[in-house]
Amino acid sequence: MTSLALKSLWARKVRALTTTFAVVIGVAFMAGSYVFTDTIFAAFDEIFNESLKGTSVVVSSENLVKQQSGEVPTISASLLPRIERTPGVRVASGAVFTPGGFFDEEGDAIGAKFSPKFISSTLPEGLESLTYVDGHLPRGPGEASLDEAAVDEAGLGIGDTISIVGRIPAQKLELVGITRLGNASIGGASIAQVTLPEAQRLTDKRGEFDQISVAAEDGVTPLVLKERIAKEMPASVRVETGEENAERSSSEIRDNLGFLTTILLVFAFVALFVGAFLIFNTFSITVAQRIAEFGMLRTLGASRGQILRSVIGESFVIGLLGSLLGIAFGFLIAVVLKALFEAVGANLPTTGLILKSRTVIVSVAVGLGVTLVSSLIPALRSTRIPPIAALHAALMPPSRRRRVINAVAAVLLGVVGLAMLLIGLFGSASGDAAAGLMGAGAVLFVLAVSLFSPVLVRPLAALAGWPLERMRRLTGRLARENAQRNPGRTAITAAALMIGLALVAFVTIFAAGARDSIASAVDDTFQGDLVVQNSDGFSPIPPGAADAARKLPGVELVATMRAAEAKLVGSGEKPRINGISGDAGDVFKLEWKQGGPATLQDLKDDQAILKESFADSHDLEVGDSFQLLSQSGNEPSFEVVGTYDTQVGLIGGAIVTQDVLARDFGQTQDTIDFIRTADGADPDEVQQRLEGAMEASFPTAEVVNQQELKQNQEAQVNQLLALIYALLALAIVISIFGIANTLALSIHERTRELGMLRAIGMSRRQVRTMIRYEAVITALIGAILGMVLGIIFAVLIAQPLKDEGFTLSFPVGQLILLLILAGILGVIAAIAPARRASRLDVLQSLQYE
Amino acid sequence: MVATDLTRRYGEGDAAVDALAGVSTGFDRGRFTAIMGPSGSGKSTLMHILAGLDKPTTGTVELDGIEITGLDDGELTELRRDKLGFVFQFFNLLPVLTAEENMLLPLSIAGRKPDPEWLERLVETVGLADRRTHRPSELSGGQQQRVAVARALLSKPAVVFADEPTGNLDSKASEDVLQLLRQAVDEFGQTVVMVTHDPAAAAHADRLITLRDGKLVHDAAPGSADDVIELMKTID
Repeated sequence: MTSLALKSLWARKVRALTTTFAVVIGVAFMAGSYVFTDTIFAAFDEIFNESLKGTSVVVSSENLVKQQSGEVPTISASLLPRIERTPGVRVASGAVFTPGGFFDEEGDAIGAKFSPKFISSTLPEGLESLTYVDGHLPRGPGEASLDEAAVDEAGLGIGDTISIVGRIPAQKLELVGITRLGNASIGGASIAQVTLPEAQRLTDKRGEFDQISVAAEDGVTPLVLKERIAKEMPASVRVETGEENAERSSSEIRDNLGFLTTILLVFAFVALFVGAFLIFNTFSITVAQRIAEFGMLRTLGASRGQILRSVIGESFVIGLLGSLLGIAFGFLIAVVLKALFEAVGANLPTTGLILKSRTVIVSVAVGLGVTLVSSLIPALRSTRIPPIAALHAALMPPSRRRRVINAVAAVLLGVVGLAMLLIGLFGSASGDAAAGLMGAGAVLFVLAVSLFSPVLVRPLAALAGWPLERMRRLTGRLARENAQRNPGRTAITAAALMIGLALVAFVTIFAAGARDSIASAVDDTFQGDLVVQNSDGFSPIPPGAADAARKLPGVELVATMRAAEAKLVGSGEKPRINGISGDAGDVFKLEWKQGGPATLQDLKDDQAILKESFADSHDLEVGDSFQLLSQSGNEPSFEVVGTYDTQVGLIGGAIVTQDVLARDFGQTQDTIDFIRTADGADPDEVQQRLEGAMEASFPTAEVVNQQELKQNQEAQVNQLLALIYALLALAIVISIFGIANTLALSIHERTRELGMLRAIGMSRRQVRTMIRYEAVITALIGAILGMVLGIIFAVLIAQPLKDEGFTLSFPVGQLILLLILAGILGVIAAIAPARRASRLDVLQSLQYE
Repeated sequence: MVATDLTRRYGEGDAAVDALAGVSTGFDRGRFTAIMGPSGSGKSTLMHILAGLDKPTTGTVELDGIEITGLDDGELTELRRDKLGFVFQFFNLLPVLTAEENMLLPLSIAGRKPDPEWLERLVETVGLADRRTHRPSELSGGQQQRVAVARALLSKPAVVFADEPTGNLDSKASEDVLQLLRQAVDEFGQTVVMVTHDPAAAAHADRLITLRDGKLVHDAAPGSADDVIELMKTID
């Protein structure tokens, strides 16, 4: 019977191929996600290991509260002599490695927009990890080197002038060297190297280091040296061996980018889920078409088990083959993913593509599992038919009992799914658990809808087919009737597209809501004329920018806002805290709950204003006290003097004075500056003047007015949306194959009918039109169901976000466009089947049984 | 309709089979012709070529002065749609359409409106006035075949080709269908060409053509069913 399975596979090569293809695409996305992220992490490992070559011990500050900006506390330069005196130390040096920005002579930014750029100090020989491919190390003030990739991309050469901006106004330096770090591409990240004093000057870290790197004398192990140095250091200082430091950096990166793996795997799951529908449908149809063959085998004495094993054997071969091919295609997907991320400005480091055994095992297990499960139900169904009935049976419609069972199962599944979704949304489960519940709930709900959808095929086909019937009477009519002929089959085919479209509709609606919410938040909150912020939209800007702005004619008021992450003592929560200059009340409007602009103006260093939701969730009221833990270990306490609400994500849970933010939280840079122009001054002129000033001294900063601010935010939403669309595209491609496959199989069944139609005078073109419309109707059924599902999900998930100012809006035009696109997808899916159907030989078709 | 020197060769070289080895004949308007012959005699091939469903290796078929053997696929499609009618052994109705819709199918394909009187008369004639909205699955085999005959007659084609129209019916239903074809010839002046292996069916025709090994071996009035049985014995 095994050989029968293989032979029957071979006899149905084309169909087996399309089924295999569904497995391939599903698995490829998953394998590709693994390969892609594994490669990134391997690249980071390589970067960290490479950059710590020769470093035995690293001394840095403890970092108790991780900052969104990624900045770490500095350590005092006064620690260096104590380390140098420690026995076993061959050489020790302070080092600076701080985010900054680089620009060429024209003022154009060097390096990709969202990629990190670091100002780094040179290290003495033995500790230095950058190799110079050209030029020499910077020897004094005014000299800098830059990494090879950045130099190439910006078209620079030795002797050119670049400007570097850290925390003081941009400085012009001469490019004297070109560097490279090991073999790894540092993926968009750029490093400018200057001497240590120059680095401290540029980053305003005089008397401070980001870390101290130590090389041990021969014969002293890093571990021993680490212990010796640790004894000399205060408690707030972290002493690690180079290896430990690299490992910690790696694991931090893994934590920070872990979401990337998760998100990609979610999309991979969607692709596989859609693929499962295609696999299930193909097996259902082929098995149904072979019922007579099975009946014949049964009358010849084959047992049920043998038939079952033969069908499962087929699916095993398809699953295994598909999974292995999928892994191969995964490499291609990994490359595409990298390009996709680069397209949105997120360059990530890479090395050679990494294939871990985990990737292979998981891919094969999942691919094979999905195929086997998808084929099991049709296989079981096929063997349950008595042999004689099977011999005579053409295609039997599902029994009434099965339809009832299906409906009951659909309703049960739907209720459970919805319940899980709602518990995830509104229940007390937090974070991952809630997301898991919601995800599983959504999957169950989708399954329920697809199980129920055969009932909906009739009315939906009538709805979708109506305009086609009006347009092309007979072909439209026949297309609709054919789509309705086997509702279960059409339903599953449509369900595959439904999933993709539900997600597309969901994110489209959600993005529209996000855009509107952002726009209204900007309108409500931002009352000034202009805003200065980092052009990447999230990094801080040097405090000098606000001072420079204040000096310009036409500028009446510059209010500044700073931010840091802190930990609420006695709770795990990590609120973002803000320091807002007292005069901000005019240009930056908060929704005051208790207190008012005067509260902000008179705020003292030991006082704080809390966001209402934050205060409520920690039982804090005006007059209460609380303590915050800073990144570097300070624990200032504050008295609550007011509460506010805001829809602006920039503002976190608490507002304190900027002095406290600088003293206890080490934050001296601005997140955003709000500017009001003087009465009578032309805002456009002031904006141009500001832009000029920023370009000269603070090129990382950009000046935008209210409209541009909204546009920038919208652009970010749109970019994210584009990325999601691209990731969902694969799931939709799979469903197109599903439609094509079902169509091809149905046409196969209807060969004689097509022959008759051609014999009595239907033209090839009419046959093509008929098939095309059938595909369009199927696609539209999927699209309508998907759209409804997407809307339901969007409405549900928007509920808990209402508190944060999220308002739902329905982009009707875009949703209609989606429907039209779905119709076009149907046309595309029908190309091959329609061609085949129209080219059928009339005589042969008529004689076909 | 005139067929001249028709040959049809399938395959090449040693494996080549001559399904038709030079057949010439004509079909007069308003006559009912039956084609008989043992399996492999070429009777089906002859009909397929006459109906424009297959092309002869050599020879020509002319219908109303048009040489159909020279037409391309599009022209043949139109010819079949407008000038030919078909009745098949397996009825070949569309299961998704009602009886009446199936009758109207060729006209719908052509995008033409039916002549309502003609439609009424046909529905009456085939005896399905009370079954027009039934789907094929709700009709008996005989009823389905009568729908198929009505479908073939509705566009008043030059020729109706019937390919074993009784091959899948019991004797009562067969008789009904044959009566119907006879009636079409007698009352409506329809030209009918029928391939059959059923002597009783052939007996309904005005003329019987018999083929063997791709050649015309007999061409005369069929006489009774028993005559036909005797004739077939001599041919086999």
